[in-house]
Amino acid sequence: MIIFFTLVRREIKRFLKVVIQTVISPVISSFLYLLVFGVSLGSSVQLKSGIPYLSFLIPGLMVMGLINNAFQNSSSSVVTSKFSGDLEDIRVAPIPHSYIVWAMGLGGIIRGSLVAMVTGLVGMAFHYMQLSEFLWIKHPALLLYFFITGGLMFAFLGIFVAVLANTFDQLSAFSSFILLPLTYLGGVFISIESLHPAWQFVSKLNPLFYLINGFRYSMLGESDIGIGSSILVTLTGVAVTFAMASFSLKKGSFSRW
Amino acid sequence: MNALEVVDVKKTYKDKVAGRPVEALKGVSFSIKPGGIFGLLGPNGAGKTTLIASITTLEEPSSGDIRVFGDSVLSHPLKTKMKVGVVHQEVINTGFFSVSEILDFQSGYYGIYKNKERCDYLMQKLSLYEHRHKKVKQLSGGMKRRLMIAKALVHSPKLLLLDEPTAGVDVGLRESLWKFVYELKNEGVSILLTTHYLEEAEQMCEQVAIINKGELLYNGTPKNMIADYSQKKMILTMKNGNVHQFTESQKLGISDVLAKHHVDINQIQDIKIEEGRLEDAFSKMVAL
Repeated sequence: MIIFFTLVRREIKRFLKVVIQTVISPVISSFLYLLVFGVSLGSSVQLKSGIPYLSFLIPGLMVMGLINNAFQNSSSSVVTSKFSGDLEDIRVAPIPHSYIVWAMGLGGIIRGSLVAMVTGLVGMAFHYMQLSEFLWIKHPALLLYFFITGGLMFAFLGIFVAVLANTFDQLSAFSSFILLPLTYLGGVFISIESLHPAWQFVSKLNPLFYLINGFRYSMLGESDIGIGSSILVTLTGVAVTFAMASFSLKKGSFSRW
Repeated sequence: MNALEVVDVKKTYKDKVAGRPVEALKGVSFSIKPGGIFGLLGPNGAGKTTLIASITTLEEPSSGDIRVFGDSVLSHPLKTKMKVGVVHQEVINTGFFSVSEILDFQSGYYGIYKNKERCDYLMQKLSLYEHRHKKVKQLSGGMKRRLMIAKALVHSPKLLLLDEPTAGVDVGLRESLWKFVYELKNEGVSILLTTHYLEEAEQMCEQVAIINKGELLYNGTPKNMIADYSQKKMILTMKNGNVHQFTESQKLGISDVLAKHHVDINQIQDIKIEEGRLEDAFSKMVAL
Protein backbone atom coordinates (compact mmCIF):
# COMPACT_ATOMS: atom_id res chain seq x y z
CA MET A 1 0.00 0.00 0.00
CA ILE A 2 3.01 2.31 0.42
CA ILE A 3 3.32 2.51 -3.36
CA PHE A 4 -0.36 3.33 -3.81
CA PHE A 5 -0.42 6.00 -1.13
CA THR A 6 2.79 7.52 -2.47
CA LEU A 7 1.09 7.96 -5.83
CA VAL A 8 -1.99 9.47 -4.18
CA ARG A 9 0.16 11.76 -2.04
CA ARG A 10 2.02 12.90 -5.14
CA GLU A 11 -1.24 13.63 -6.96
CA ILE A 12 -2.59 15.71 -4.09
CA LYS A 13 0.67 17.56 -3.45
CA ARG A 14 0.93 18.33 -7.15
CA PHE A 15 -2.39 20.11 -7.41
CA LEU A 16 -1.96 21.83 -4.04
CA LYS A 17 1.32 23.33 -5.26
CA VAL A 18 -0.68 25.25 -7.85
CA VAL A 19 -3.81 25.76 -5.81
CA ILE A 20 -4.72 29.07 -7.46
CA GLN A 21 -4.90 27.40 -10.84
CA THR A 22 -6.40 24.10 -9.70
CA VAL A 23 -8.90 25.06 -7.02
CA ILE A 24 -9.38 28.80 -6.60
CA SER A 25 -9.75 29.64 -10.29
CA PRO A 26 -12.53 27.07 -10.99
CA VAL A 27 -14.32 28.14 -7.80
CA ILE A 28 -14.29 31.76 -9.00
CA SER A 29 -15.75 30.63 -12.35
CA SER A 30 -18.54 28.80 -10.51
CA PHE A 31 -19.10 31.85 -8.30
CA LEU A 32 -19.59 34.00 -11.41
CA TYR A 33 -21.97 31.44 -12.96
CA LEU A 34 -24.01 31.50 -9.75
CA LEU A 35 -24.03 35.26 -9.63
CA VAL A 36 -24.93 35.82 -13.27
CA PHE A 37 -27.19 32.88 -14.05
CA GLY A 38 -28.45 31.91 -10.64
CA VAL A 39 -28.97 35.22 -8.93
CA SER A 40 -29.34 37.80 -11.71
CA LEU A 41 -31.05 35.89 -14.51
CA GLY A 42 -32.40 33.05 -12.38
CA SER A 43 -35.27 35.07 -10.92
CA SER A 44 -36.82 35.39 -14.38
CA VAL A 45 -36.53 31.65 -15.19
CA GLN A 46 -39.52 29.53 -14.28
CA LEU A 47 -39.06 25.77 -14.26
CA LYS A 48 -42.04 23.49 -14.85
CA SER A 49 -41.18 21.57 -11.69
CA GLY A 50 -41.54 24.76 -9.70
CA ILE A 51 -38.02 24.54 -8.25
CA PRO A 52 -36.27 27.94 -8.01
CA TYR A 53 -33.68 28.21 -10.77
CA LEU A 54 -30.90 28.93 -8.29
CA SER A 55 -31.63 25.65 -6.46
CA PHE A 56 -31.68 23.87 -9.81
CA LEU A 57 -28.40 25.40 -10.90
CA ILE A 58 -26.30 24.62 -7.80
CA PRO A 59 -26.07 20.81 -8.28
CA GLY A 60 -25.34 21.32 -12.00
CA LEU A 61 -22.45 23.66 -11.26
CA MET A 62 -21.16 21.31 -8.62
CA VAL A 63 -21.06 18.48 -11.17
CA MET A 64 -19.36 20.75 -13.67
CA GLY A 65 -16.69 21.60 -11.09
CA LEU A 66 -16.31 17.97 -10.12
CA ILE A 67 -15.91 16.47 -13.59
CA ASN A 68 -13.83 19.26 -15.12
CA ASN A 69 -11.37 19.21 -12.27
CA ALA A 70 -11.25 15.43 -11.97
CA PHE A 71 -10.54 15.25 -15.70
CA GLN A 72 -7.98 18.03 -15.62
CA ASN A 73 -6.22 16.62 -12.59
CA SER A 74 -5.43 13.26 -14.09
CA SER A 75 -4.87 14.51 -17.63
CA SER A 76 -2.52 17.30 -16.55
CA SER A 77 -0.72 14.88 -14.24
CA VAL A 78 -0.05 12.55 -17.17
CA VAL A 79 0.83 15.34 -19.57
CA THR A 80 3.23 17.15 -17.23
CA SER A 81 4.79 13.78 -16.41
CA LYS A 82 5.26 13.15 -20.11
CA PHE A 83 7.06 16.44 -20.40
CA SER A 84 9.20 16.06 -17.33
CA GLY A 85 10.02 12.38 -17.75
CA ASP A 86 8.26 11.40 -14.50
CA LEU A 87 6.05 8.99 -16.37
CA GLU A 88 9.11 6.93 -17.30
CA ASP A 89 10.07 6.79 -13.61
CA ILE A 90 6.65 5.51 -12.69
CA ARG A 91 6.72 3.01 -15.55
CA VAL A 92 10.11 1.54 -14.62
CA ALA A 93 9.18 1.25 -10.94
CA PRO A 94 7.39 -1.87 -9.69
CA ILE A 95 3.97 -0.24 -9.80
CA PRO A 96 0.96 -2.19 -11.11
CA HIS A 97 -1.12 -0.25 -13.64
CA SER A 98 -4.18 -0.56 -11.44
CA TYR A 99 -2.39 1.46 -8.71
CA ILE A 100 -1.67 4.27 -11.15
CA VAL A 101 -5.25 4.31 -12.38
CA TRP A 102 -6.81 4.25 -8.90
CA ALA A 103 -4.33 6.77 -7.46
CA MET A 104 -5.01 9.23 -10.25
CA GLY A 105 -8.72 8.50 -9.86
CA LEU A 106 -8.54 9.30 -6.17
CA GLY A 107 -6.51 12.44 -6.86
CA GLY A 108 -9.18 13.48 -9.36
CA ILE A 109 -12.00 12.87 -6.88
CA ILE A 110 -10.25 14.88 -4.19
CA ARG A 111 -9.56 17.90 -6.38
CA GLY A 112 -12.93 17.70 -8.13
CA SER A 113 -14.78 17.29 -4.83
CA LEU A 114 -12.93 20.20 -3.29
CA VAL A 115 -14.03 22.48 -6.11
CA ALA A 116 -17.56 21.04 -6.13
CA MET A 117 -17.96 21.39 -2.38
CA VAL A 118 -16.74 24.98 -2.29
CA THR A 119 -19.07 25.70 -5.22
CA GLY A 120 -21.89 24.05 -3.29
CA LEU A 121 -21.17 26.06 -0.14
CA VAL A 122 -21.01 29.33 -2.08
CA GLY A 123 -24.22 28.32 -3.85
CA MET A 124 -25.91 27.59 -0.53
CA ALA A 125 -24.87 31.00 0.76
CA PHE A 126 -26.38 32.63 -2.33
CA HIS A 127 -29.45 30.44 -1.90
CA TYR A 128 -29.96 31.64 1.67
CA MET A 129 -29.42 35.27 0.73
CA GLN A 130 -31.70 35.09 -2.31
CA LEU A 131 -34.47 32.80 -1.10
CA SER A 132 -34.11 33.14 2.67
CA GLU A 133 -33.98 29.41 3.16
CA PHE A 134 -31.25 26.81 3.51
CA LEU A 135 -30.68 24.34 0.73
CA TRP A 136 -30.68 21.10 2.65
CA ILE A 137 -29.23 18.00 0.99
CA LYS A 138 -32.06 15.50 0.63
CA HIS A 139 -30.01 12.32 0.14
CA PRO A 140 -26.43 12.74 1.47
CA ALA A 141 -25.43 9.09 0.90
CA LEU A 142 -26.53 9.26 -2.72
CA LEU A 143 -24.68 12.53 -3.14
CA LEU A 144 -21.52 10.85 -1.87
CA TYR A 145 -22.05 8.04 -4.36
CA PHE A 146 -22.31 10.50 -7.26
CA PHE A 147 -19.27 12.42 -6.02
CA ILE A 148 -17.26 9.21 -6.13
CA THR A 149 -18.58 7.80 -9.41
CA GLY A 150 -18.53 11.17 -11.20
CA GLY A 151 -15.01 11.97 -10.00
CA LEU A 152 -13.67 8.54 -10.86
CA MET A 153 -15.30 8.44 -14.28
CA PHE A 154 -13.74 11.69 -15.42
CA ALA A 155 -10.39 11.14 -13.74
CA PHE A 156 -10.13 7.79 -15.56
CA LEU A 157 -11.18 9.45 -18.80
CA GLY A 158 -8.45 12.05 -18.26
CA ILE A 159 -5.81 9.31 -17.99
CA PHE A 160 -7.05 7.64 -21.15
CA VAL A 161 -7.08 10.81 -23.22
CA ALA A 162 -3.75 12.15 -21.90
CA VAL A 163 -1.83 8.89 -22.35
CA LEU A 164 -3.05 8.47 -25.91
CA ALA A 165 -2.69 12.15 -26.85
CA ASN A 166 0.46 13.01 -28.73
CA THR A 167 0.18 16.76 -28.39
CA PHE A 168 -1.41 19.39 -26.18
CA ASP A 169 -3.63 20.21 -29.12
CA GLN A 170 -5.21 16.76 -29.09
CA LEU A 171 -5.90 17.01 -25.37
CA SER A 172 -7.37 20.45 -25.73
CA ALA A 173 -9.50 19.28 -28.70
CA PHE A 174 -11.04 16.57 -26.54
CA SER A 175 -11.94 19.08 -23.84
CA SER A 176 -13.36 21.61 -26.28
CA PHE A 177 -15.19 19.36 -28.73
CA ILE A 178 -16.35 16.51 -26.53
CA LEU A 179 -16.25 17.29 -22.83
CA LEU A 180 -17.58 20.83 -22.93
CA PRO A 181 -20.61 20.12 -25.22
CA LEU A 182 -21.47 17.01 -23.19
CA THR A 183 -21.37 19.09 -20.00
CA TYR A 184 -23.55 21.90 -21.31
CA LEU A 185 -25.97 19.58 -23.09
CA GLY A 186 -26.15 17.26 -20.11
CA GLY A 187 -28.36 19.69 -18.22
CA VAL A 188 -26.09 21.84 -16.07
CA PHE A 189 -28.08 24.95 -16.90
CA ILE A 190 -31.31 23.56 -18.33
CA SER A 191 -33.94 20.97 -17.61
CA ILE A 192 -34.72 18.67 -20.53
CA GLU A 193 -38.41 19.11 -19.83
CA SER A 194 -38.10 22.42 -21.68
CA LEU A 195 -36.57 20.77 -24.76
CA HIS A 196 -38.22 19.39 -27.90
CA PRO A 197 -38.80 15.58 -27.57
CA ALA A 198 -36.12 14.94 -30.20
CA TRP A 199 -33.55 16.83 -28.14
CA GLN A 200 -34.77 15.12 -25.00
CA PHE A 201 -33.95 11.81 -26.70
CA VAL A 202 -30.47 13.06 -27.65
CA SER A 203 -29.88 14.28 -24.10
CA LYS A 204 -30.69 10.84 -22.75
CA LEU A 205 -27.81 9.40 -24.80
CA ASN A 206 -25.40 11.63 -22.92
CA PRO A 207 -23.99 9.84 -19.83
CA LEU A 208 -23.43 13.19 -18.14
CA PHE A 209 -27.16 13.79 -18.16
CA TYR A 210 -27.52 10.86 -15.73
CA LEU A 211 -24.73 12.10 -13.48
CA ILE A 212 -26.10 15.64 -13.32
CA ASN A 213 -29.59 14.38 -12.63
CA GLY A 214 -28.26 11.99 -10.02
CA PHE A 215 -26.65 14.95 -8.28
CA ARG A 216 -29.79 16.99 -8.60
CA TYR A 217 -31.93 14.22 -7.16
CA SER A 218 -29.49 13.76 -4.26
CA MET A 219 -29.67 17.43 -3.37
CA LEU A 220 -33.20 18.46 -4.29
CA GLY A 221 -35.12 15.19 -4.44
CA GLU A 222 -36.14 16.03 -8.01
CA SER A 223 -34.67 15.07 -11.38
CA ASP A 224 -35.51 14.59 -15.05
CA ILE A 225 -34.87 10.84 -14.89
CA GLY A 226 -35.32 7.98 -12.45
CA ILE A 227 -32.54 7.69 -9.88
CA GLY A 228 -32.07 3.98 -10.73
CA SER A 229 -31.00 4.89 -14.26
CA SER A 230 -28.56 7.48 -12.92
CA ILE A 231 -26.97 4.96 -10.56
CA LEU A 232 -26.71 2.30 -13.26
CA VAL A 233 -25.29 4.57 -15.96
CA THR A 234 -22.69 6.17 -13.68
CA LEU A 235 -21.58 2.79 -12.37
CA THR A 236 -21.25 1.50 -15.94
CA GLY A 237 -19.40 4.70 -16.80
CA VAL A 238 -16.85 4.05 -14.05
CA ALA A 239 -16.30 0.47 -15.24
CA VAL A 240 -15.90 1.50 -18.88
CA THR A 241 -13.57 4.43 -18.20
CA PHE A 242 -11.51 2.29 -15.80
CA ALA A 243 -11.04 -0.25 -18.61
CA MET A 244 -10.12 2.56 -21.01
CA ALA A 245 -7.55 4.04 -18.60
CA SER A 246 -6.01 0.62 -17.92
CA PHE A 247 -5.85 -0.09 -21.63
CA SER A 248 -4.13 3.22 -22.33
CA LEU A 249 -1.49 2.57 -19.66
CA LYS A 250 -0.85 -0.88 -21.06
CA LYS A 251 -0.71 0.07 -24.72
CA GLY A 252 0.04 3.79 -24.73
CA SER A 253 3.37 5.48 -25.09
CA PHE A 254 5.32 6.56 -22.02
CA SER A 255 7.91 8.38 -24.03
CA ARG A 256 8.53 12.03 -23.41
CA TRP A 257 6.95 14.84 -25.42
CA MET B 1 23.66 -16.43 -11.79
CA ASN B 2 24.18 -13.54 -14.17
CA ALA B 3 23.12 -10.04 -13.20
CA LEU B 4 21.63 -9.57 -16.65
CA GLU B 5 20.99 -11.93 -19.51
CA VAL B 6 19.80 -10.64 -22.84
CA VAL B 7 18.70 -13.58 -24.97
CA ASP B 8 18.13 -13.13 -28.70
CA VAL B 9 16.16 -9.92 -28.26
CA LYS B 10 14.49 -8.53 -31.34
CA LYS B 11 12.50 -5.34 -31.51
CA THR B 12 10.62 -4.20 -34.56
CA TYR B 13 8.47 -1.10 -34.64
CA LYS B 14 6.67 0.80 -37.33
CA ASP B 15 8.35 3.97 -38.52
CA LYS B 16 5.64 6.62 -38.08
CA VAL B 17 6.98 8.77 -40.91
CA ALA B 18 7.90 6.18 -43.50
CA GLY B 19 5.20 3.73 -42.40
CA ARG B 20 7.51 0.73 -42.79
CA PRO B 21 8.79 -1.65 -40.13
CA VAL B 22 12.18 -0.87 -38.60
CA GLU B 23 14.30 -3.48 -36.86
CA ALA B 24 15.75 -1.66 -33.87
CA LEU B 25 17.25 -4.84 -32.37
CA LYS B 26 18.13 -7.86 -34.48
CA GLY B 27 18.59 -10.73 -32.08
CA VAL B 28 20.93 -9.25 -29.48
CA SER B 29 22.38 -11.61 -26.85
CA PHE B 30 24.86 -11.00 -24.04
CA SER B 31 25.16 -11.39 -20.31
CA ILE B 32 26.62 -9.39 -17.43
CA LYS B 33 28.30 -11.00 -14.47
CA PRO B 34 27.36 -9.71 -11.00
CA GLY B 35 29.44 -6.86 -9.63
CA GLY B 36 31.02 -5.73 -12.86
CA ILE B 37 30.87 -2.70 -15.11
CA PHE B 38 29.65 -3.51 -18.60
CA GLY B 39 29.86 -0.98 -21.41
CA LEU B 40 27.23 -1.03 -24.13
CA LEU B 41 28.72 1.01 -26.93
CA GLY B 42 27.46 2.05 -30.30
CA PRO B 43 26.86 5.07 -32.51
CA ASN B 44 23.67 7.12 -32.25
CA GLY B 45 20.62 5.12 -33.27
CA ALA B 46 22.43 1.80 -32.78
CA GLY B 47 19.71 0.41 -30.49
CA LYS B 48 21.29 1.01 -27.06
CA THR B 49 18.42 3.03 -25.64
CA THR B 50 15.86 0.62 -27.11
CA LEU B 51 17.66 -2.21 -25.35
CA ILE B 52 17.69 -0.32 -22.03
CA ALA B 53 14.01 0.51 -22.54
CA SER B 54 13.36 -3.20 -23.05
CA ILE B 55 15.22 -4.12 -19.86
CA THR B 56 13.18 -1.58 -17.90
CA THR B 57 9.90 -2.59 -19.62
CA LEU B 58 9.41 0.80 -21.24
CA GLU B 59 9.46 -1.19 -24.48
CA GLU B 60 8.32 -4.74 -25.03
CA PRO B 61 10.66 -6.84 -27.18
CA SER B 62 9.13 -8.39 -30.28
CA SER B 63 10.83 -11.67 -29.33
CA GLY B 64 13.54 -13.03 -27.06
CA ASP B 65 13.90 -12.73 -23.32
CA ILE B 66 15.69 -10.56 -20.77
CA ARG B 67 16.50 -11.90 -17.32
CA VAL B 68 17.61 -9.91 -14.29
CA PHE B 69 19.25 -12.11 -11.67
CA GLY B 70 17.41 -15.08 -13.14
CA ASP B 71 13.93 -13.53 -13.40
CA SER B 72 12.41 -12.67 -16.75
CA VAL B 73 11.41 -9.04 -17.15
CA LEU B 74 8.61 -10.22 -19.41
CA SER B 75 6.99 -12.72 -17.04
CA HIS B 76 7.99 -11.15 -13.68
CA PRO B 77 8.27 -7.41 -14.36
CA LEU B 78 7.43 -6.25 -10.83
CA LYS B 79 10.05 -8.56 -9.32
CA THR B 80 12.81 -7.53 -11.73
CA LYS B 81 12.02 -3.82 -11.42
CA MET B 82 12.83 -3.98 -7.71
CA LYS B 83 16.37 -5.04 -8.61
CA VAL B 84 16.99 -2.45 -11.30
CA GLY B 85 17.79 1.24 -11.09
CA VAL B 86 17.89 3.30 -14.26
CA VAL B 87 19.32 6.67 -15.18
CA HIS B 88 17.65 7.77 -18.38
CA GLN B 89 19.47 9.60 -21.10
CA GLU B 90 17.27 12.67 -21.07
CA VAL B 91 17.46 14.97 -18.09
CA ILE B 92 14.37 15.19 -15.90
CA ASN B 93 12.54 18.46 -15.68
CA THR B 94 9.92 18.02 -12.98
CA GLY B 95 8.44 21.40 -12.23
CA PHE B 96 6.49 20.88 -9.03
CA PHE B 97 8.71 19.20 -6.48
CA SER B 98 11.94 19.78 -4.61
CA VAL B 99 14.94 17.44 -4.68
CA SER B 100 14.06 15.84 -1.33
CA GLU B 101 10.39 15.45 -2.28
CA ILE B 102 11.37 13.74 -5.52
CA LEU B 103 13.59 11.26 -3.69
CA ASP B 104 10.86 10.68 -1.12
CA PHE B 105 8.32 9.88 -3.86
CA GLN B 106 10.85 7.73 -5.69
CA SER B 107 11.38 5.69 -2.51
CA GLY B 108 7.63 5.28 -2.19
CA TYR B 109 7.38 3.95 -5.74
CA TYR B 110 9.58 1.07 -4.58
CA GLY B 111 7.49 0.49 -1.46
CA ILE B 112 9.94 2.16 0.92
CA TYR B 113 8.39 4.37 3.58
CA LYS B 114 10.59 6.81 5.49
CA ASN B 115 13.78 6.40 3.50
CA LYS B 116 15.33 9.60 4.82
CA GLU B 117 18.63 8.06 5.85
CA ARG B 118 19.30 6.60 2.40
CA CYS B 119 18.09 9.75 0.61
CA ASP B 120 20.26 11.99 2.81
CA TYR B 121 23.25 9.71 2.18
CA LEU B 122 22.74 9.87 -1.58
CA MET B 123 22.20 13.63 -1.55
CA GLN B 124 25.38 14.11 0.45
CA LYS B 125 27.32 11.69 -1.72
CA LEU B 126 26.18 13.45 -4.88
CA SER B 127 26.58 16.98 -3.48
CA LEU B 128 22.87 17.65 -3.59
CA TYR B 129 22.18 17.98 0.14
CA GLU B 130 22.55 21.74 0.25
CA HIS B 131 20.15 21.97 -2.71
CA ARG B 132 17.55 19.59 -1.26
CA HIS B 133 14.86 22.27 -0.95
CA LYS B 134 15.33 23.55 -4.49
CA LYS B 135 12.94 22.62 -7.26
CA VAL B 136 14.37 20.80 -10.27
CA LYS B 137 14.07 23.82 -12.53
CA GLN B 138 16.40 25.70 -10.16
CA LEU B 139 19.14 23.09 -10.55
CA SER B 140 22.00 23.21 -13.04
CA GLY B 141 22.34 20.53 -15.71
CA GLY B 142 24.97 18.71 -13.68
CA MET B 143 22.83 18.75 -10.54
CA LYS B 144 19.90 17.33 -12.50
CA ARG B 145 22.13 14.49 -13.69
CA ARG B 146 23.20 13.79 -10.12
CA LEU B 147 19.59 13.87 -9.00
CA MET B 148 18.75 11.28 -11.64
CA ILE B 149 21.49 9.03 -10.28
CA ALA B 150 20.22 9.53 -6.73
CA LYS B 151 16.71 8.62 -7.87
CA ALA B 152 17.97 5.45 -9.48
CA LEU B 153 19.67 4.41 -6.24
CA VAL B 154 17.07 5.12 -3.55
CA HIS B 155 16.01 1.47 -3.42
CA SER B 156 19.59 0.13 -3.48
CA PRO B 157 19.26 -1.75 -6.79
CA LYS B 158 21.50 -4.69 -7.59
CA LEU B 159 21.70 -3.70 -11.25
CA LEU B 160 22.19 -0.09 -12.33
CA LEU B 161 21.55 1.00 -15.90
CA LEU B 162 23.26 4.24 -16.89
CA ASP B 163 22.18 5.52 -20.28
CA GLU B 164 24.79 8.09 -21.25
CA PRO B 165 24.99 9.56 -17.76
CA THR B 166 27.77 11.99 -18.68
CA ALA B 167 26.27 13.40 -21.88
CA GLY B 168 26.73 17.17 -21.80
CA VAL B 169 28.46 17.07 -18.43
CA ASP B 170 31.68 18.99 -17.70
CA VAL B 171 34.98 17.20 -17.05
CA GLY B 172 35.01 17.74 -13.29
CA LEU B 173 31.55 16.32 -12.80
CA ARG B 174 32.28 13.42 -15.13
CA GLU B 175 35.25 12.47 -13.02
CA SER B 176 33.26 12.62 -9.80
CA LEU B 177 30.43 10.60 -11.33
CA TRP B 178 32.78 7.86 -12.48
CA LYS B 179 34.38 7.80 -9.06
CA PHE B 180 30.96 7.26 -7.56
CA VAL B 181 30.19 4.54 -10.10
CA TYR B 182 33.39 2.77 -9.02
CA GLU B 183 32.27 2.96 -5.41
CA LEU B 184 28.96 1.40 -6.35
CA LYS B 185 30.78 -1.37 -8.17
CA ASN B 186 32.87 -1.98 -5.06
CA GLU B 187 29.65 -2.24 -3.07
CA GLY B 188 28.63 -5.09 -5.38
CA VAL B 189 26.27 -3.24 -7.73
CA SER B 190 26.35 -4.53 -11.31
CA ILE B 191 26.46 -1.69 -13.79
CA LEU B 192 25.54 -1.43 -17.43
CA LEU B 193 26.49 1.85 -18.97
CA THR B 194 26.26 3.39 -22.37
CA THR B 195 28.58 6.23 -23.23
CA HIS B 196 30.07 8.02 -26.19
CA TYR B 197 33.29 8.60 -24.27
CA LEU B 198 35.17 5.50 -25.35
CA GLU B 199 38.26 6.42 -23.43
CA GLU B 200 36.20 6.25 -20.26
CA ALA B 201 34.63 2.97 -21.28
CA GLU B 202 38.11 1.56 -21.88
CA GLN B 203 39.19 2.55 -18.38
CA MET B 204 36.00 1.66 -16.53
CA CYS B 205 34.54 -1.44 -18.13
CA GLU B 206 35.66 -4.99 -17.62
CA GLN B 207 33.52 -6.02 -20.54
CA VAL B 208 32.09 -4.17 -23.52
CA ALA B 209 29.55 -4.95 -26.21
CA ILE B 210 29.41 -3.07 -29.47
CA ILE B 211 26.04 -2.65 -31.06
CA ASN B 212 25.34 -1.07 -34.43
CA LYS B 213 22.13 -0.91 -36.44
CA GLY B 214 20.51 -3.27 -33.96
CA GLU B 215 23.19 -5.95 -34.28
CA LEU B 216 25.68 -7.04 -31.68
CA LEU B 217 29.10 -6.77 -33.30
CA TYR B 218 31.34 -7.59 -30.38
CA ASN B 219 31.15 -8.82 -26.81
CA GLY B 220 34.31 -9.19 -24.76
CA THR B 221 36.98 -7.35 -22.84
CA PRO B 222 38.19 -3.95 -24.06
CA LYS B 223 41.71 -5.36 -24.10
CA ASN B 224 40.80 -8.16 -26.49
CA MET B 225 38.79 -5.81 -28.63
CA ILE B 226 41.76 -3.48 -28.97
CA ALA B 227 43.98 -6.43 -29.77
CA ASP B 228 41.58 -7.78 -32.37
CA TYR B 229 40.43 -4.61 -34.05
CA SER B 230 43.02 -1.88 -33.60
CA GLN B 231 46.62 -1.40 -34.66
CA LYS B 232 49.60 0.00 -32.88
CA LYS B 233 51.91 2.54 -34.40
CA MET B 234 55.66 2.04 -34.06
CA ILE B 235 57.94 4.99 -34.80
CA LEU B 236 61.65 4.12 -35.16
CA THR B 237 64.34 6.77 -35.13
CA MET B 238 67.49 5.32 -36.64
CA LYS B 239 71.05 6.27 -35.72
CA ASN B 240 71.51 7.76 -39.19
CA GLY B 241 68.59 10.14 -38.54
CA ASN B 242 66.02 8.34 -40.68
CA VAL B 243 62.56 7.82 -39.18
CA HIS B 244 60.45 4.73 -40.00
CA GLN B 245 56.81 4.39 -39.07
CA PHE B 246 55.02 1.04 -39.06
CA THR B 247 51.36 0.36 -38.29
CA GLU B 248 50.86 -3.21 -37.24
CA SER B 249 48.51 -5.53 -35.44
CA GLN B 250 48.35 -5.19 -31.68
CA LYS B 251 49.15 -8.86 -31.46
CA LEU B 252 52.64 -8.49 -32.92
CA GLY B 253 55.49 -7.89 -30.49
CA ILE B 254 58.36 -5.43 -31.17
CA SER B 255 60.71 -8.13 -32.35
CA ASP B 256 58.04 -9.50 -34.71
CA VAL B 257 57.59 -6.07 -36.29
CA LEU B 258 61.33 -5.49 -36.63
CA ALA B 259 61.79 -8.91 -38.19
CA LYS B 260 58.89 -8.38 -40.54
CA HIS B 261 60.37 -5.12 -41.83
CA HIS B 262 64.01 -6.38 -41.76
CA VAL B 263 65.15 -3.67 -39.35
CA ASP B 264 68.54 -4.11 -37.77
CA ILE B 265 68.04 -3.61 -34.07
CA ASN B 266 71.58 -2.26 -33.68
CA GLN B 267 70.81 0.69 -35.98
CA ILE B 268 67.89 1.89 -33.84
CA GLN B 269 68.38 4.95 -31.69
CA ASP B 270 64.83 5.31 -30.32
CA ILE B 271 61.49 3.48 -30.44
CA LYS B 272 58.13 5.06 -29.76
CA ILE B 273 55.00 2.93 -29.62
CA GLU B 274 51.49 4.30 -29.76
CA GLU B 275 49.19 1.55 -28.56
CA GLY B 276 45.83 0.99 -30.21
CA ARG B 277 42.84 2.46 -28.43
CA LEU B 278 39.30 1.30 -27.94
CA GLU B 279 38.19 4.25 -30.04
CA ASP B 280 40.22 2.99 -33.01
CA ALA B 281 38.86 -0.52 -32.60
CA PHE B 282 35.32 0.83 -32.27
CA SER B 283 35.65 2.99 -35.40
CA LYS B 284 37.00 0.08 -37.38
CA MET B 285 34.30 -2.28 -36.18
CA VAL B 286 31.42 0.10 -36.79
CA ALA B 287 32.76 0.97 -40.24
CA LEU B 288 32.98 -2.71 -41.26
